[in-house]
Amino acid sequence: MVNSSDTNCVQLEIFPSRLLKPETAQKLLNAIADINGVTRLFIHGPRLPDTVPYGPAKGEPVHHPGKTVIEVAGQAMELAVYVGGIRMEVIDVDVKEQVREVCENILPVSFEFREGQFIPTKQTVTDYAKRGPGADPLMLGMTDPKGKLKHNPVCILKPDFLDE
Amino acid sequence: MAYEPQYYPGATSVAENRRKHMSGKVEKLRDISDEDLTLILGHRAPGSDYPSTHPPLAEMGEPEDSVRELVEPTPGAKAGDRVRYVQFVDSMYNAPSTPYFRSYAAAINFRGVDPGTLSGRQVVEARERDMEELAKFQIETEMTCPALAGLRGATVHGHSLRLPEDGVMFDMLERVRKEGDNIIMHKDQVGRPIDKKVNLGKPMSEEEAAKRTTIYRVDNVAFRDDDEVIEWVQRVFDQRTIYGFKPEN
Repeated sequence: MVNSSDTNCVQLEIFPSRLLKPETAQKLLNAIADINGVTRLFIHGPRLPDTVPYGPAKGEPVHHPGKTVIEVAGQAMELAVYVGGIRMEVIDVDVKEQVREVCENILPVSFEFREGQFIPTKQTVTDYAKRGPGADPLMLGMTDPKGKLKHNPVCILKPDFLDE
Repeated sequence: MAYEPQYYPGATSVAENRRKHMSGKVEKLRDISDEDLTLILGHRAPGSDYPSTHPPLAEMGEPEDSVRELVEPTPGAKAGDRVRYVQFVDSMYNAPSTPYFRSYAAAINFRGVDPGTLSGRQVVEARERDMEELAKFQIETEMTCPALAGLRGATVHGHSLRLPEDGVMFDMLERVRKEGDNIIMHKDQVGRPIDKKVNLGKPMSEEEAAKRTTIYRVDNVAFRDDDEVIEWVQRVFDQRTIYGFKPEN
């Protein structure tokens, strides 16, 4: 199994100059899912509420077109955010270049592409309280910090990859 | 020679636009009907009378007062309208106006308004018909681009975010959307669905927005490009510091 303790792993961030439509995001995520060597990935962006959270219209349904179901590598998932950035961990620098190429081909806008440390390495007290002592380190930082774990927030796209 | 207010220093297009907004000499770009305006403000049903909070001033028998004689009440105050608000949000990506300049525009050119300036939003409270007059002025003129600025009474989040791909400022309540070439508002300013879609007109192109904006940006007209503005900002800053400093206290 590959994890972040392997020295070759690099973490990447794709930061487009515009927030991405769900269709563009789906296209990009599918292309990234086709690359071998992406270990973990999460989408980052402004949250989209189901109902108006406050004000005189509190409780009214919103029906935001960004909150839609996209299909990535055959799995359907509902976007909870408007896609503003994608952060991921890949096994080595070669994969990084493949990801960059995919972004250049698919993104209709300019983007920043950077390497850095984007996924937490240590669990916080909240993580510990949520997951307990035997938590899988790969899942660390992969879930919505405000979300509930019972909603199964993490999608495993290629389960076989984990057993390699 | 009569004094002409200069409003704002500077020689760049941004300074010129700031002067325009403050003086109220802005170009009218679109029309919005009274009914549509009432719908998107969401304070009362279109076509209904203005609800009042007190009887018209003429019927109230006001006490004798020299100031009351001197100052003509605004139409809203005269009729006893309720105080209602309009709140604008302007994107940081070259929106035509900014909260400060909306407040200047309101306070300089309109009477009986109470502008509130915040980092991302600008609210004006006034008697309902006075507020509507101001809202109409700001929406119809070059102070507003329907894509880069919007009426948002609640959840103003979006002004500082990157624009979505279609160039319409992010709104988590999706009050406006782009349909064809036009920007359509299909919810009122707090996010309640409204009966009909209100056409707010065409959005400004990127070039036009860059030309009409009152925002200094490094990728458009940088603040540092405007020597006269820098000189005056520094002068105001200096003098505020000096006159605020009172060692004897």
